[in-house]
Amino acid sequence: MSEPLGRVVATERKPNTPHEFHFWTSLDCPVGIGTIVRVDGSHPVDGHIPHIYGIVVEGFSYTDLQSPMHDVLGHDGSPANAGFGVTERSEIRLYTAAVLRQIPEEPLQPVPMGEVFLAGEEDVAAALRMDAYLKEGAHTGIPIGVYRAGATDSVIWLDADFLLGPEAAHLNISGMSGLATKTSAVEWLLSSVFTHFPESKGSIAAVCFNVKGPDLCYLDQPASRLEDSDRALYEKMGVKPAPFQKVEYFAPYNAKGFSLNTLRSNEALLHNVTPLTWGLKEVLQYAEVLLNKDDLDAKADALIDFIGERVVNCRMEKEGPLSRDHTVQTFADLEAWFRDLLQGMERLNNESWRTHHIATIRKVRNRLSNISTRCAGLVTDTADVSDLPFGSFEDRAVYVVDVASLEEDAQDLIFARIVSRLREHLERRDLGVKHLIVFVDELNKYAPGDAQDTYVRKMLLDIAERGRYLGLVLFSAQQFRSQVHRRVVGNSATALYGRMDGDELATPGYSVLSPATRTKLATLEKGQLMVRHPHFTQPIFVRFPRPAVLSGREGAERYPQAVDVGIEAALYRSLRPLDPEITLAWAKNMAALYDEDELIAARNATTLARPDNARAFFQSRLKKIIPVETANGKEKASAPLRPLPVGDPYEP
Amino acid sequence: MGHRTGVSGNADDGIELNGWPGSPHEATRYILGHLPECDPVEDFPRQTERPVHGEDAPVLLPPDVIEGEFFRAIHVADPRTARGTSGFAGFLDGTQDVRVVNQSHGIPIVWATVSAAIRARVNRRLVAWTGRPPIVSRRYYIPFRYVDGLHSEFRSHPQVIDTAREDASGKVPSRHPAALMEAAVQRVQQDRESIELELAEAWCASETATLFVDGSITGSRLVSESTRAVGIVKSHRRLYADGDAFRTLVGLRAGERSSIFRVAPRSRYPVASWYVRMRSATGRDALFGLVRVEAAIAGDLQARADEISRWIMAEGSPLALPDARWDKMAYGIRDTEEFLRAIS
Repeated sequence: MSEPLGRVVATERKPNTPHEFHFWTSLDCPVGIGTIVRVDGSHPVDGHIPHIYGIVVEGFSYTDLQSPMHDVLGHDGSPANAGFGVTERSEIRLYTAAVLRQIPEEPLQPVPMGEVFLAGEEDVAAALRMDAYLKEGAHTGIPIGVYRAGATDSVIWLDADFLLGPEAAHLNISGMSGLATKTSAVEWLLSSVFTHFPESKGSIAAVCFNVKGPDLCYLDQPASRLEDSDRALYEKMGVKPAPFQKVEYFAPYNAKGFSLNTLRSNEALLHNVTPLTWGLKEVLQYAEVLLNKDDLDAKADALIDFIGERVVNCRMEKEGPLSRDHTVQTFADLEAWFRDLLQGMERLNNESWRTHHIATIRKVRNRLSNISTRCAGLVTDTADVSDLPFGSFEDRAVYVVDVASLEEDAQDLIFARIVSRLREHLERRDLGVKHLIVFVDELNKYAPGDAQDTYVRKMLLDIAERGRYLGLVLFSAQQFRSQVHRRVVGNSATALYGRMDGDELATPGYSVLSPATRTKLATLEKGQLMVRHPHFTQPIFVRFPRPAVLSGREGAERYPQAVDVGIEAALYRSLRPLDPEITLAWAKNMAALYDEDELIAARNATTLARPDNARAFFQSRLKKIIPVETANGKEKASAPLRPLPVGDPYEP
Repeated sequence: MGHRTGVSGNADDGIELNGWPGSPHEATRYILGHLPECDPVEDFPRQTERPVHGEDAPVLLPPDVIEGEFFRAIHVADPRTARGTSGFAGFLDGTQDVRVVNQSHGIPIVWATVSAAIRARVNRRLVAWTGRPPIVSRRYYIPFRYVDGLHSEFRSHPQVIDTAREDASGKVPSRHPAALMEAAVQRVQQDRESIELELAEAWCASETATLFVDGSITGSRLVSESTRAVGIVKSHRRLYADGDAFRTLVGLRAGERSSIFRVAPRSRYPVASWYVRMRSATGRDALFGLVRVEAAIAGDLQARADEISRWIMAEGSPLALPDARWDKMAYGIRDTEEFLRAIS
């Protein structure tokens, strides 16, 4: 049995309770805020010696001085004299610990006097009730980090049933930017989940929205440096220190449509980057994401629904104000239909068409027509669609959607549509995986607590409140938890905290933490986290390893973003991975023959279809051009007139 | 008593102490089983102050100077630079807590706790000396002859002391409660000194460094002759300075000591003694910061007196506040008193 490191003390002024106790230690004791300790009671209760587990939440130190003035007098007012004192004053280290667990749990009594021991690995498992889900045969633990105190090095496990459903779900990460908390933690945790998620619970994948910089752009590239201490942590937690094996990137084109709008545009990394392009059909369903409340009154909403159900992809025959038949499949088709309809109504002096007032039609035309402009690069005028592989998601794969360089409207549209599609597929159980993690950073922006309601916020709330039943789990992150909608963070059963800003810690959400715990949170080192989890009655501090993937900053240096190029180089870059024989000269030739819109449409269709013969497929999508033939520089002679038929009645 | 780890009872007890009261409340109840007719005293008045006794009246005595020819002041240290070096490796002190817990027809039944401990200094911090555990003794002090109905087995208990025995001259204390209290307190003081000297002797027999003893060392031959113990007396009811010597004594400045003189109290053992002014008495009473040192008459006394005086000066920091005697008290002694308060 190990040596006790402290003794429980209680006074009338500072009594012990069932949830809190006090103990003192020697001055050189390895106890600090966050240390887990065990108290062995000295008298049996109901025939059992009570064992109490607690975590240190506050510390006090004082001497027998009754007034600071006594120390001043004792050293003649000179601090320099203090160092020469032959004796140091008696000093105490007094700690307050919050109870994590009492065994036996009934009757629940105040913590008794007793010896205090540093918790060993088994104690930590018992204290955090991890023993319930680390059983042989029913192991649902996901390692989140290592708890360290003194000689104890104990893996802290989260319960998959409470992290990824169905009991509880969702994870929220808070922390200051730039201190390797949010992105690093989620990268590490995804590795851990992919390694330890029980096979019996089915398949799992992740969709990550890269909302800023190159943070998530190199998940398939190995870290440039991994310390031995990091490798030791990986080994202890049974996770391979390697980048993700299956990663797919998705990014829309830039406004010109020449190249992909992502920091992962270096040619060496384009093999798993897929364009994200949507057409009218895909966008119309989520038009309300792009329209504000003034735009989207009941009348406009009804017209948009009508267009979605009765116009898009339907044949509208010539009738009433319409001067011709229409089959609307693209934004260009829609604009032509609007133009024809409005001209017809003006011509016939009609004020409404199929109950829709002309003013409403004009307004909706105006709002819908500029979507392709506002979301250029993502929304195309053609009907070509390049999307995430809904229905064929792979187990343990990460799908990164890079929206970092997009306008806010486009980001919202992408987020809303992808999450909606994911939810639809999960409801139908045909996504390809049983569980899906959606990672969203900057939750302050997408689900703010004090801003007006938006479509995106409603979706996040919906995931947070109902996602776990579907297997849709939200991993979210933000700098200021206090500014995120309460129901989003409140529904996150697990919460991670990195180093926090003092102002943030002063908000009411942190008042449940002791001042010492808040101070520790404000000074956490890189690689340290505070964890809250349904099984843990108090927050726990852990260390986690540096992610085994290339960091965004290093990746951006090693794989510089491709410079914006002309149409020739864009064709060459996009099509060469499909057909290595394609040359720049060929691309230049194509650029000389066709206009940019046509080339881009053909390029998009080719990259989407990924045909065996990319060059032929590409050319097949272009209009035929019959070059003008010239003969030795002379103008070709006109063709002779046909001879008159025999017996022509009009013959003069 | 005796249940606390690392604390021993009086070495002479040699008895089973289970069930013996450990607090005044327990003592009040315990004696009711052995003296049914006594009445509990509710608020347990403390008798910590030493009663004024004929022999303890303030007195001036001529010093028997053994250093030079007359009593003079000798500069030993600059009080501003004397801090930092001390040869004391341990601090010995004792405490007593005397309570009247019951009375039997006006006769006080006294219950007292005496304790003593040595705190050793290790790396500038004070810890319990491992050579001998602290001693805590709890006893009843009862004038047998004035208390009727005391069970005989209780009378013969070694932890029950008769405070009305005849002294060497055949005198016994009167039935006056104050006289009986004086007799009880005197006996408690003897017990306390006894356990203090027991620890001091153990130190002198086993250690090579010097022990700081709070009080006189003349009660033990071994201790009074050992160079490993130095007694520091803070009370000055007997001042070894009369006439010119008195003026010299009250004129001592901080960092000065007096000449060495010989002290040989009746029924005790002789030692060398001198006064040291630990702190400046300017603006204070004449005895502010003044202690009397007792050391064995051995070796180069003059050099030892200088050295020990400097050690005592050094022990003035940290201050022993909030103790009222902080001007004369070493912090090590205050620490020992606090320690004894915690364990007794």
